[in-house]
Amino acid sequence: MPRHVEAQVVVIGGGPAGMAAALSSFENGAEPVFLLERGKYLGGILNQCIHPGFGLHYFGEELTGPEYAEQFIERLKKTRVEVFLDTTVLEITKDRVVRAVNPAGVWEFRAENVVLSMGCRERTRGMLRIPGHRPAGIFTAGLAQYLVNIEGYLPGKEIVILGSGDIGLIMARRLTLEGACVKAVVEIKDSLSGLLRNYVQCLLDFDIPLLLSHTVTNILGKDRVEGVVVNKVNTHGQIIPEGEQFIGCDTLLLSVGLIPENDLSKKAGIPLCPFTGGPFVDEYFACDLEGFFACGNVAAVFDLVDYVTMVSTMVGGKIGSPSLDRKPPRHMLVPASGVSQVIPQRIREGKEGFLFIRSQHAFRDAVLSLSLEGREFQAMRIPLCYPSEMVKVNLQDIQWPSEKGEVQISIRGKRIHGVG
Amino acid sequence: MKKVFDVVIVGGGIVGCAVAWYFSHFDLEILLLEKESDVCCGVSKANTGIIHSRSYWTPSTLKGELHLRSLVLFPQAEKELNLHSPQTGALTVALIREEMTFLKVLKERGNISGAEIIGPKESIEIEPSLNPRIFACYYDPETRIISPFALNLALAEFAALNGVHFILDEEVTGFESMGNRIRILGRNDWYLGKRVINCAGLYATKLARLSNDAVSAHRFFRGQYFVLDRECAPLIRHVLYPVPTEESKGILVSPTPEGNILVGPNFEPVDEEDTATTFWGLKEVEEGARKLIPFLPLEQTITTFSGLRPTLPERDFRIFFSSSLPGLLHLCGIESPGLTASLGIAEYVGEKLKDSGITLREKRISPRTAFPVFRNCGFEERERLIAENPDWGKIICRCEEVTLAEVKHALSSPIPASTLDGLKRRVRVMAGRCQGGFCGMYLPTIMMQELDCDVKEVFKSTRGSFYLLGKIEDVVKENAPTC
Ligand SMILES: Cc1cc2nc3c(=O)[nH]c(=O)nc-3n(C[C@H](O)[C@H](O)[C@H](O)COP(=O)(O)OP(=O)(O)OC[C@H]3O[C@@H](n4cnc5c(N)ncnc54)[C@H](O)[C@@H]3O)c2cc1C
Ligand SMILES: Cc1cc2nc3c(=O)[nH]c(=O)nc-3n(C[C@H](O)[C@H](O)[C@H](O)COP(=O)(O)OP(=O)(O)OC[C@H]3O[C@@H](n4cnc5c(N)ncnc54)[C@H](O)[C@@H]3O)c2cc1C
Repeated sequence: MPRHVEAQVVVIGGGPAGMAAALSSFENGAEPVFLLERGKYLGGILNQCIHPGFGLHYFGEELTGPEYAEQFIERLKKTRVEVFLDTTVLEITKDRVVRAVNPAGVWEFRAENVVLSMGCRERTRGMLRIPGHRPAGIFTAGLAQYLVNIEGYLPGKEIVILGSGDIGLIMARRLTLEGACVKAVVEIKDSLSGLLRNYVQCLLDFDIPLLLSHTVTNILGKDRVEGVVVNKVNTHGQIIPEGEQFIGCDTLLLSVGLIPENDLSKKAGIPLCPFTGGPFVDEYFACDLEGFFACGNVAAVFDLVDYVTMVSTMVGGKIGSPSLDRKPPRHMLVPASGVSQVIPQRIREGKEGFLFIRSQHAFRDAVLSLSLEGREFQAMRIPLCYPSEMVKVNLQDIQWPSEKGEVQISIRGKRIHGVG
Repeated sequence: MKKVFDVVIVGGGIVGCAVAWYFSHFDLEILLLEKESDVCCGVSKANTGIIHSRSYWTPSTLKGELHLRSLVLFPQAEKELNLHSPQTGALTVALIREEMTFLKVLKERGNISGAEIIGPKESIEIEPSLNPRIFACYYDPETRIISPFALNLALAEFAALNGVHFILDEEVTGFESMGNRIRILGRNDWYLGKRVINCAGLYATKLARLSNDAVSAHRFFRGQYFVLDRECAPLIRHVLYPVPTEESKGILVSPTPEGNILVGPNFEPVDEEDTATTFWGLKEVEEGARKLIPFLPLEQTITTFSGLRPTLPERDFRIFFSSSLPGLLHLCGIESPGLTASLGIAEYVGEKLKDSGITLREKRISPRTAFPVFRNCGFEERERLIAENPDWGKIICRCEEVTLAEVKHALSSPIPASTLDGLKRRVRVMAGRCQGGFCGMYLPTIMMQELDCDVKEVFKSTRGSFYLLGKIEDVVKENAPTC
């Protein structure tokens, strides 16, 4: 018979988001708290990020991914949070039954609160519809990162990376340091997707060419990748047939974006935001469906783990808190011009917590504008903003109007082209 | 002394394995030779997987005759193969009045009870995503869908279980007469057979020409496809055909038994072996499919692929004995509906061999038992499986919910998987929405352990298709940096 367990909190996913949420809910009095992780270790994606660059905001020092994770694993050990490793959640229902399996059997948790913290997955070749052959040697960058950093394998010798996101940039450096030759990083947009500092430290310092406004249009090789065809694109992202070039390589890495992993949320009927790809959440990161919270990359792709920890710690503190009565939200936030994502999308009180905004382009001398039904009620200056770094605003710094309604969030400023 | 086989089959596609399945019911020594490291590596791995109904048979052709014969054989075969082909039914869509004539032809040709021609309103009722501006549909309740991998593998496993010898990684390069035997030359060895059946798919005419038989060379026509995410499954209920063109059945939208949607194929002449997808080919498929389903969510594509049709000028199957080597039977031009007709082809080949003097004495057979599929099990069943073996509790593929137990079984089954693609065809790892982004982390290690091989021998498909270059230390030692 399946094992039935009553729980006050079930946290799905033991990455930084899940660990912080489990810890803080326990520390704020919730019990029993279960943390379910399908991997062999806690830490999520941090385990394979052996580069420094974590914790500058939260701990005030630069840690590697595993070092950052270790802080939380140690703290969890001192609590009665029950950690289940090797445990995959297969189903959740809208009344918060969580069904999971592990080598001990089938589990059914009945939870008062469910925290979704399943992280994200990577976009694939199929989604981009890159035509050509289907040989071995095509990897998503995060998969390659795991194979190199955790398993100690080299995927190939001559590498082309499509997409200039941070994972791609970091892998360009890693693979070069391990003796491979990164022939080019190809980016369809006219600007960098990742952080400027990663461009400098991972590409410039190693003389790896970055081809902006270019994309891979064909993959050659029957058995193993033998090369890719690269074309220039125009300002609308359309391929320019003239001047195509062939780049010989045995490996193509795709660093073309992350998708919040919400297969489970969808099955439970939790409404998802088309812009973030994660559940709609309010300022406490509570979903539209009662008793569910979403934190970390499952809610929206966060570039900084520090923000993930901050938000998840707050969620843990809010679980079960009476201030969370389900008053209908006062404001619905939607991205408008210059903005691609806004999280949270619902505001109940607007007193505590943060607003995270991702801009569509890189801007200089920009203004972040909030308007209610077309009337601007607040404008904030931002000297510089990049799509690779979310803009974070304290909710209490915003004077929320008393009328209810839809709030459009936009950014205007001078576009920065190139690497900036 | 070399063993003399009664029947040697060249090619482990659906047709070769159907022939092996058929002969394995009789008291015969049978050998199947396949050039790839697995069965189901040729045409059989890349097609639409439709068991076309009686409405779709082509009168006065051999392919038509064998199509009808096969449909009769399927129900019993599915029982002993432990297979299931969901009967989805089909709609053939006439976009304009002129196309009505064809719908009437289909209805008459099939003479299927329950089949009817229906108007747009009724069509939309049973297939809500359909283009509302169509003229009419022919509704055919008989059409079924099947996983071509599952069919090919089930046939092969049944044959193996019932005594057929399989030699993989053995390419046949020619035939010689040895008295009343045929010597089959392979790259690695040679074999002796009383009868040889050339089921080499794309390469069948090449082999036939090696034995100096007069047959025109195959021309190859490629068909490209999109595979859509399982999330889209509720969108399509029936196989959707357009009215066919001169050359093919046209661009279809079809559900698959696993719950994906297949969109394609187009029809374009190509050189041998060119199974790439192209920008223009996929565009053509998209435009064709949108005539049937205007809001087809192609943004939910998880992968694209293509397959090749080996065709003869007469656009029919040609099954004939060699004029130079008696006992050598060639199967050429096995294009669509080769999957549907496969069992009929096997029976027909059986008759040909019987006529040529082979005795078919029935023997007791063991039916094939299917291994459980975790994703389809209820929670009680899962609990039981995990209690038996904890590997059932370890999920390796998150998208298709495949467990370690299933992967290990596939690596040690009667026709074992030896490559990543082989695993994919058997248990659907790497076949879901993340396309191996997750299970790709674990599969190399599992394969190395189970197959007792080095990381350099973990292949995607062919021997050249290494997945990883090697351990970092080793690679660095062996190679100076390339730039
Ligand atoms: C390659 C890469 C480099 C990065 N570099 C930096 C950097 O330099 N600095 C920085 O601050 N941030 C960086 N980040 C961002 C940061 O790592 C992420 O924001 C953070 O890890 C997100 O945490 P999470 O807990 O939401 O997701 P994850 O870390 O992905 O954790 C999700 C966990 O959920 C588990 N899970 C999922 N589904 C299930 C299920 N059904 N059942 C059980 N368990 C499940 C997964 O196994 C995983 O352990 C980087 C991210 C990546 C991918
Ligand atoms: C795009 C497309 C869509 C189709 N859709 C359908 C459909 O919906 N329904 C339907 O009924 N049919 C369909 N078909 C047809 C069907 O797929 C084929 O007719 C069928 O799969 C042919 O099987 P086969 O065994 O003859 O060929 P293959 O599967 O190609 O098998 C031949 C095997 O022989 C091996 N081989 C070749 N040469 C040698 C050698 N010298 N030595 C040893 N081994 C050798 C090959 O490696 C291969 O494994 C479709 C075909 C295509 C291309």
